Amino acid sequence: MKALLISDQEYLTKTYQGLKDLIGKFLKQKGYEIEMTELSEKDLTFCRGCFGCWIKKPGECIINDGMAQINRRVMNSDVVIYLSPIIFGQFSPTIKNVIDRGLPNILPFFEKRPDGSTMHPPRYDTYPSQIIIGYGDEISDEDKQLFIDVTKKHRRSIEVLIYQEPKENTIEALNKLELGRVGGLL
Amino acid sequence: MKNVVLVSASPKINEKSVSKEFLEMLGSQINSQLFSKTFIDVRKSFSSHNLTEDFETLAKADAIIISFPLYYFCLPGMLTRFLVDYHNYYTASGDVKKHVKVYAMVNCGFPEPEINLEAVRVIKSFSQHLNAEFRFGVLIGGGPMMVAAKEAPFMKKAVQKLNSAFTSIAADIQAENSTPMDSIYIGVNYPLLRRIYYFMGGRGWITMARKNGLKKKDLYKKPYRLN
Repeated sequence: MKALLISDQEYLTKTYQGLKDLIGKFLKQKGYEIEMTELSEKDLTFCRGCFGCWIKKPGECIINDGMAQINRRVMNSDVVIYLSPIIFGQFSPTIKNVIDRGLPNILPFFEKRPDGSTMHPPRYDTYPSQIIIGYGDEISDEDKQLFIDVTKKHRRSIEVLIYQEPKENTIEALNKLELGRVGGLL
Repeated sequence: MKNVVLVSASPKINEKSVSKEFLEMLGSQINSQLFSKTFIDVRKSFSSHNLTEDFETLAKADAIIISFPLYYFCLPGMLTRFLVDYHNYYTASGDVKKHVKVYAMVNCGFPEPEINLEAVRVIKSFSQHLNAEFRFGVLIGGGPMMVAAKEAPFMKKAVQKLNSAFTSIAADIQAENSTPMDSIYIGVNYPLLRRIYYFMGGRGWITMARKNGLKKKDLYKKPYRLN
């Protein structure tokens, strides 16, 4: 079983180290082989909204940098965990680039979600279970809630947790999640 | 004279941007005799290494309007980087300007404007981190279609709403006393229209792919499928 951990080199704080160690131990205990990707600003450029991944080379980003490899690794993992600093209630710029450039892994068309809102359908039959864990120091409750809402209100296929003391709460929350390949929920 | 800075943040390169078009529509409604208007294009700011100059312009603003497309239910990575770097620049300068008003204009391809709400909340959070006053957002669903079909009769109502929202921002910038304002939602929201919208959207992707020499089935390729 493969787990991919994606994090941001720009925010290697003490809190991040604590979180990384905790997640590493958790995954090892569950029997996962862990692959770690600490990205820097220079590793990935911005998504430029060209839709080449839908209409030129379907399923693959046409920008020639490390993202094609990351998308391949994401799709071939059983679990993907994003460790993201919470910035203005959202992701850090580098983690946001990873998320934006995950676009090749979904289809361009529109479909209605169970709550009536619109979403793009999945490209694949199954995906790794994906978890975003937000961290930071002195984050306001408003920003923490926003960090959860940005994903949970719109994407049923991704879990979101906030890392905070006591650490056991994060482990407890992770233990409640079903890890492994899942269908592409809208 | 007060400074209004209008920021467009579409990451597209050499393509017409919906965010910019909306921002220009708004800009034309802001009184040039009362306000100095400066436009910043974030994509150009990065490509021409103009960041410091643009940050200096922003730091002098009395009102900032940020117009951008929704990327994965929040800000595009490019705008996220721009705002984080601007926040670092601004706090390091130590010269905090008071009573700066901030507005968000977010558009998405999905027909429902409310999908943009979290992106507006991110701009509100950014404003709070700058000690600026977030005023309100304009949330636009079906933005690209509104621009492409703005002359069509079925789009008349939405375009009227857009213009009225832009008038509200222009008036609010001018107002001395800031009374609380709700965000404005503009979208393509009717059930029948939505079905047409989904259909047209799908057909549009297939047409564009065909122009690139692809067949309809190619759009469904699974290059990273597990063996």
